[in-house]
Amino acid sequence: MDSLPHLLAGFAAALSPANLAYAFAGCVFGTLIGVLPGLGPAAGTAILIPITFKLDPTGAIIMLAAIYYGAMYGGTITSVLINVPGEAASVITCIDGHQMAKQGRGGTALGIAAIGSFIGGMAATIALVLVAPPLAKFALSFGPPEFFALMLLGLCLVSGLAGRSLSAALMMTALGLLISMIGIDPVRGAPRFAFGIADLYDGLGIVPVVMGLYGIAEILITVERPVQEIIRTKFSGLLPSRDEWHRSWGAIARGTGIGFFLGLIPGIGSIVPTFMAYIAEKRISKTPERFGKGAIEGVAAPETANNAYANAAMVPFLTLGIPSSPTIAVLMGAFIINGLTPGPFLFQERPDLVWTVIASFFIGNLILLILNLPLVGLWAKILHVPFKYLAVGILLLCIMGAYSLQQSAFDVWVMILCGVVGYLLRKLDLPLAPLVLGLILGPALEKSMRTSLEMSAGDFSIFVTRPLCLGLLIAAGVVVVGAAFKLAPRQLRDSEAQV
Amino acid sequence: MLKLLVKSVTLTIAVLTLTGGTAFAQSFPTRPVELMVAYPAGGSTDIGARIVASIAEKILGQPMVVVNKGGAGGQVGWTDMARRRPDGYFIGYINLPATNTVVLDPERKAIFNVDDFVPIINQVLDPGVIWVRADSPYKTLGDLIDAAKKAPGTIRAATTGILSDDHLAILMVEEAVPGATLRIVHLVGSAAQFKEIMGGNVDVAFDNVGSIVPRVRSGEVRALVVLDHERSKFLPDVPTTKELGYPTVISSSTRGIAGPKGIPAAVVKQLADVLKKAMQDPDHVQKMDTAGLAVKIMTGDEYARYYKETHDKAKKYTEWAKKMEQK
Repeated sequence: MDSLPHLLAGFAAALSPANLAYAFAGCVFGTLIGVLPGLGPAAGTAILIPITFKLDPTGAIIMLAAIYYGAMYGGTITSVLINVPGEAASVITCIDGHQMAKQGRGGTALGIAAIGSFIGGMAATIALVLVAPPLAKFALSFGPPEFFALMLLGLCLVSGLAGRSLSAALMMTALGLLISMIGIDPVRGAPRFAFGIADLYDGLGIVPVVMGLYGIAEILITVERPVQEIIRTKFSGLLPSRDEWHRSWGAIARGTGIGFFLGLIPGIGSIVPTFMAYIAEKRISKTPERFGKGAIEGVAAPETANNAYANAAMVPFLTLGIPSSPTIAVLMGAFIINGLTPGPFLFQERPDLVWTVIASFFIGNLILLILNLPLVGLWAKILHVPFKYLAVGILLLCIMGAYSLQQSAFDVWVMILCGVVGYLLRKLDLPLAPLVLGLILGPALEKSMRTSLEMSAGDFSIFVTRPLCLGLLIAAGVVVVGAAFKLAPRQLRDSEAQV
Repeated sequence: MLKLLVKSVTLTIAVLTLTGGTAFAQSFPTRPVELMVAYPAGGSTDIGARIVASIAEKILGQPMVVVNKGGAGGQVGWTDMARRRPDGYFIGYINLPATNTVVLDPERKAIFNVDDFVPIINQVLDPGVIWVRADSPYKTLGDLIDAAKKAPGTIRAATTGILSDDHLAILMVEEAVPGATLRIVHLVGSAAQFKEIMGGNVDVAFDNVGSIVPRVRSGEVRALVVLDHERSKFLPDVPTTKELGYPTVISSSTRGIAGPKGIPAAVVKQLADVLKKAMQDPDHVQKMDTAGLAVKIMTGDEYARYYKETHDKAKKYTEWAKKMEQK
């Protein structure tokens, strides 16, 4: 347990007034993003990256990570009160959460969601502390061929699990990889697909692309939806009764486990764990007929699972540099902007930063519990702001954010174009997550493949003669073949394709 | 009448431009000066830039703001600098020979040329170094060369990028010792080199002294040779290529400040004077020492000549590298 001193040092740094303030601000912004239906966590994080530019890298990462898991808390509020998920991971919470609100138990639903989220988040972070360092140490022995195989496996998992249709997901992955090749060739230095446009030499930025695909497209979609009725709830009875608590604790424990283990697999997405947790509760319940009519377990389990998932997804991200969702891909973009490359080397090079960020997860979860339990009424008030005003505000934020990345109007156009593309893709029911992950993993995938071939003087056998590399490639093949023959569990496939 | 009007307007404009011009030269600078670095924040060039800017702005009387315009191995930043207005308010680092090879490699399709920049002052000359893992069988440069002769094209040698000074240095070794060919692996930057060397995925690394001094001191890696005429003050125990009988294997990454072509000579001189004063400041000297960056001040003709010589040398090896690829 040599990571304990590191973690304590991390706490000391994370508890400095400045870092505490960044974590707090991140939690507030994150909850806000979660509450606003027109703004998911991927777009929200992307929009807020520019405001962290003036911060030191540690502060910036603390704040962006807090935004990420804060959004997971906030999404519940709209699910319960207006039957519209604030972000995709809260879809399942609508079923029983909204029923509870109709029965006047909205406060309890939000209360148990906050408590479950807190427990799930905390437990997953503790597990992260235990699992991450040995995994990072192991990954240090990875050479370029192993990283190539690992990233390929990550992309196959995303394509195999993230959509209803494997061919659609593979198409989107290929599109993402193709877009990632715009700009200067990482080995030869020659411009590709740039058509002499200097703005394209450095490729399309992940941040404006995600802002467009998720932010702008989400607003366009939301505009089409009819206005929902908001249930006004008394927030007096936030804490569950003895009986409700008795029902919930098992759900919270199982939700934590399901969320954590699914979070370790790249590409699962944040919706699948909530579905699995919900279905598990319904299956083992002695009174499954209560589900869909306001069962508290139906809120506790998925809400716990999505926060356990959110924190567990940090494990492959921090130790291997594999983002498992578009939001983490955006977070990865923020690391890169700050000159940091997530992966095993980061644990060695910048243990101070890594452990401070991990310590801030604990602090952030505590801040979110405080923000969400007593202050939940305040957040609910935001829902009374008409969407037309919110939409204008969010659009303005997107444009300012895209411009301020590098004071370039070009990025704004990229974002707007991606907004239109994202809207069309959603209308065509094509999954966006494989596209975004292809875009962010593309450069590293290509670089590691080409470095491997330089190592072997052009001999492709380097990928099959190294046992670990071969194992990862076989796993990638199994995932794709399995998806093609629909071997994945039905729940995985039937859950929402969009993330 | 119309003619008269045109004439008087032309005259007025001419007078205004002239007086404006002189007034401008006398009062430069009246607003902050931007100092561009063509690499992301935190790299060696950026560290040097921030040290000199913090001292120079006190002498200059206006803030000197370091702007990072990284991407495409420096090409994004240099493309931007070549397009800027030559008024002295936008200057930036040129990294020799990287700036040269970007121009020289036709694949890069650079829209600028070396003549598009006016060299102002050089700050750092970071010599090349060949290094291996501490437990490597290669104890000296001789060991490495013998092994390379015995099994040509099998020893994996890492650069920090294609056509970087490190890549050119490998070509210089191969030229000096016919038959001793290495298997070149292009990695991005020093951190990647360190990772792959420690992981045993490459055998030998070509980099610059400034990047590896702390790791040599900690005993994790061994420096075989410094590619310079004289020993580095940061690695006094490591022999030079000149000492070992390879006087043609001389390579370095040289970082200096230039501006877009057309800056008034008076402004170039003023900037050179200010920056020279800043670089001679004890604070600069001490901070650069701590960062492991060897200061080498060059201005005026001396720097212009160095720029030209580097270009000619880079041209020879770039063409050679391209020819080898076609084989």
